[in-house]
Amino acid sequence: MRKQIVSALLAAISVFVLGGFGLESAAGRDYVIGMSQCNLGEPWRVQMNHDIKEAAAKHPELKVVFKDAQNDTLRQRSAVEEFINSKVDLLIISPKEAQPLTEPVARAMDAGIPVIVLDRAVLGDKFTCFIGADNVKIGKAAGQWIARKLGGKGKVVELEGLMTSIPGQDRHNGFREGIAGSSIEVIFQADMKWLEPDSRKEMESALSRFDRIDLVYAHNDPGAHGAYLAAKAAGRDNIIFVGVDALPQEGVAYVQQGILDATFRYPTGGAEAIDTALKILKGETVPKKIVLGTRLFDKNNVATGGEPLP
Amino acid sequence: MGLSNDSSPLVRLIGITKRFGQVAVLQDVNFEGLPGELHVLAGENGAGKSTLIKILAGIHTDFQGRIEIDGREARPRSPLEAAALGIAVIHQELSLIGPMSVADNIFLGRTPARAGFVRHAEQNDSALHWVRQLGLEIDVRQPVEKFPVATRQLIEIAKALSQNARVIVMDEPTSALNAPEVNTLFGLIESLKSRGCCVIYITHKMEEIGRIADRITVLRDGQCVGVAPAAELPPAKLIQWMVGRDLGEQFPRHTPRSGAELLRLENFSVFPSGLSSRAAVDTVSLSVRAGEVLGIGGLQGSGASELFLGLFGAYGALTQGRMFLSNTQRRFASPRQAIAAGVALLTNDRKATGLVLSMSVCANATLAGLPALSPGGWRRPSREWAAAKAMTAPMRLPDSTLEMEAGALSGGSQQKVALAKCLQCRPKLLMLDEPTRGIDVGAKREIYQLVEQWTAEGIAILLITSEMPELLTLSDRIAVLHRGRVTAEFPQGRATPEAILAAAMGQSIAE
Amino acid sequence: MKLAFWKSALGSPAGRALLALLLVIMAGAIFNADGAFFKIGTHRDTLRQTSVYGILACGMTLVIISGGIDLAVGSVLALAAVCASKMAIHWNWPAWEVVPGCLAVGTACGALSGIVTAGLRVQPFIATLSMMVFARGIAKYASGGMKVSTVVQNADGSYRNVEVPPLFRAIDHSIFHGNVSVVTVIFLVCVAIAWVALSKHRWGRYLYAIGGNEEAARLSGVPVVGAKICAYVASGIFAAVAGICQAAQEQQGDPEAGVGYELLAIAMVVIGGTSLMGGRGGIGLTLIGVLTIGYLDKILSINAVPEAGRLVLTGIIIVAAVLTQRRGRT
Repeated sequence: MRKQIVSALLAAISVFVLGGFGLESAAGRDYVIGMSQCNLGEPWRVQMNHDIKEAAAKHPELKVVFKDAQNDTLRQRSAVEEFINSKVDLLIISPKEAQPLTEPVARAMDAGIPVIVLDRAVLGDKFTCFIGADNVKIGKAAGQWIARKLGGKGKVVELEGLMTSIPGQDRHNGFREGIAGSSIEVIFQADMKWLEPDSRKEMESALSRFDRIDLVYAHNDPGAHGAYLAAKAAGRDNIIFVGVDALPQEGVAYVQQGILDATFRYPTGGAEAIDTALKILKGETVPKKIVLGTRLFDKNNVATGGEPLP
Repeated sequence: MGLSNDSSPLVRLIGITKRFGQVAVLQDVNFEGLPGELHVLAGENGAGKSTLIKILAGIHTDFQGRIEIDGREARPRSPLEAAALGIAVIHQELSLIGPMSVADNIFLGRTPARAGFVRHAEQNDSALHWVRQLGLEIDVRQPVEKFPVATRQLIEIAKALSQNARVIVMDEPTSALNAPEVNTLFGLIESLKSRGCCVIYITHKMEEIGRIADRITVLRDGQCVGVAPAAELPPAKLIQWMVGRDLGEQFPRHTPRSGAELLRLENFSVFPSGLSSRAAVDTVSLSVRAGEVLGIGGLQGSGASELFLGLFGAYGALTQGRMFLSNTQRRFASPRQAIAAGVALLTNDRKATGLVLSMSVCANATLAGLPALSPGGWRRPSREWAAAKAMTAPMRLPDSTLEMEAGALSGGSQQKVALAKCLQCRPKLLMLDEPTRGIDVGAKREIYQLVEQWTAEGIAILLITSEMPELLTLSDRIAVLHRGRVTAEFPQGRATPEAILAAAMGQSIAE
Repeated sequence: MKLAFWKSALGSPAGRALLALLLVIMAGAIFNADGAFFKIGTHRDTLRQTSVYGILACGMTLVIISGGIDLAVGSVLALAAVCASKMAIHWNWPAWEVVPGCLAVGTACGALSGIVTAGLRVQPFIATLSMMVFARGIAKYASGGMKVSTVVQNADGSYRNVEVPPLFRAIDHSIFHGNVSVVTVIFLVCVAIAWVALSKHRWGRYLYAIGGNEEAARLSGVPVVGAKICAYVASGIFAAVAGICQAAQEQQGDPEAGVGYELLAIAMVVIGGTSLMGGRGGIGLTLIGVLTIGYLDKILSINAVPEAGRLVLTGIIIVAAVLTQRRGRT
């Protein structure tokens, strides 16, 4: 009996807590934008929401309501349905998967709500605008920078993100495209699953195996950071480290501190989404697809905010 | 109880030798079971009876020697094969699966099915038929664990009977049965005999042997001492065969002593399932003096075990009424408090609630007294060893057993370890629940001597036992419980088995 | 005579666990990746990398022996890592305040798990599963969903870099001429503490009794509820220690750290030979299990075995190791 009361209390409290976060009352604003995020587990997505919030703050007539699907497809579908029912003026969505979210997005369009799809696509073309970055381009840019930096030859360790995920594959394939034609040799590659401790472990293996390593290319900045710490602990100081993502408090800061030699921004598209949203709400036409470029951050340009690449 | 005319053996075990590692548990043992007889297999604990039976049952397949069923050589490689050969074994350690229904248990391995789908109706009807043969009226769809131990034992017997076996082995089948249930069982055995079955019966109860045995085979230390018709083996001679020495009187006389009142219960009630449910012990009042043995008589469901557990604090706050230890009112909220106050309990199921079988004998023996043996929390292994040895040596447990896992010992030895644990904390009140269940004659006598000694030291003893002679011999006074209430009390010398049984069955006797 | 010795050695759980470890090390000697396996740095790294899991496995051993399980250790690790980083980096607390602070967090989580399991009699699997989710949530809340690192946000939105705290530098460091990492020493200290508790203190004996037969233990006067709660508290404290080590080695507190670590810790305990049913096993066995899995992981890593192959091989070897553990018991 006691146990049941306690569990009921715990359940009630958790509903309160989970539901309470992020509730905002929408009153007295000109436009309400619904933002459906697939998960806030990745710092990059936290950054995306942050970018949207910051960009929207500059326009007081905009009110953004955020919903987090906690990486659950069904929950994200419900979130979209809730936005449709509450008749938001525009929907921004970063879907967990393409197939299950295509139909809810289509229904939003049918209900007269314009939809901006961020970062991951849905199927077909029933949406207003897709904004995303291209990991293959980023990988290729990284590869080309690395080839230039090493003068066309050298021994490189590639620390991969989860190779069953599209970003991992794209950053790998793009990189190989970028170094094609040079004499750069990838002597060691391992899947560190985007995780820093795993990356450090793989780097240690590489260090114990190879006496000469010129450069480490990691698919994300935490991976590059872990590799850096491994090299530092082993006393190997002359290795160049390159990462991807370039979050301001992570990758960019690492370049500033001299930990990374270069990082490439994987843009969240948050600011662009708000700009595009404003255009849509004012009735302007917008392109169907906006591909975001990347920015290079290295020692030379990090103080000035990096350098955009085509 | 007559012998059958057909004299060719139904089952023969010839030259059976079995080793566990270097130790020969059975050496060149011969056994013969005739159709239509009840053949008792007797021997002390560790004599090899269980091992012999396990070989027959197909549990031990690695042995030397031959088995013949009906004159044909057989070698069962598994219990299922043994069942197919017509051998059914009812083990002392029940082999029923608690959460499964009675019917499922009875037909386990032989489930009636059509293309893989169980035919429940057919199975339930059959199961009901078999349990009714034993006088049980129960719902065979209920899980077995809902029924008390005595009923489970009868279900186990029903399972064996339903296999239409011709060789039926029963290992201590009456240990949890009351007198009427035992009579039903013996009637059943008679009908089995008349059908030409051979019943191999293992028991420690002398009166049972005297009552139903046709022939007796005695094992001692893994060897066959001999086989004889029951008439030629009176109890004294039987004991001599089993033990190899003359034990003299089987039950030593208990010297009555009593000192100051140690325990007094006033309207004590125990509600194991909650204060608003049925009371297992209902307003019981009794008292025990130091150095006195109060025997608690009663049949299954009398509430005697619950009385002990309630006194001991095992049910926490689910008791009512008053309890006085040495004239101070106490109530124990946990066994820990009871032990600290000088009360000890030997439970009636050493494997389930008495011992931690995965720990060593030394660890088990010192478990209850660990706070005293480890001041500040840090253990002193040498002190523990000495304390364990001090308790187990008087019980004739060799020092070499102290390091062994408790689960590896025989039943009698395990019981001694459990007793050692109880005595560890120098109790003033000792509650013994079936202290000699599943124990051979020699060990039993040792325990009776220990009871003698404990009372001489001034310990008050509460004793539950289902063996009438034991109850009558050991107790100074006897209180009988029926459905949680005291129905009779007898001072020493005034109790008779009939009067006790009558009171246990509910006929209150004013005394 | 010799045969009998080997037979009895292999009959013991420690013997079988050592056999598994020996086989793994032999495999490493064979597949030594151009001699990398024989470098002392490789062994230092193997121990470093496996130490965090090993610390978790120490607490897990205590809980499993008492008949329970603790699925929350990965999340508590993350929570402690976040707290350690917040305290040391952002609030600039000295080490002697950071460490007890984090241990207090671990104690609180463990106590909550213990009370729900032992006091409210909820199954350990469910109780600690809830704590796993709950602690993860607190970690994300306390960190704002981002890693707590040396890059601190100013009031105006820009970022500044802060020094890596001396505590972190001291932990992520190698001693004895760079041949042994400090986290390995911390791990071995945890092993020693757990071993002492389990074999020299009566609380350890209580845990074995409770895991072996809880009812018999209760009726023998063992304080079952209190002893179990202490086991979960110990597990929480070890998880907090692991969290501090993790934060030091990443130089940040990641609220997403430790995902899946509890399963690896359980695997290490089981491979060592401690029974999941409770009542049997010990810290020495767990240490062997930690080394076995640690070396296996390292051998796969230096040979750059592709990910799919690693998962398959690791799975097979875990099952094989557990099967060899079983054969000894009749």
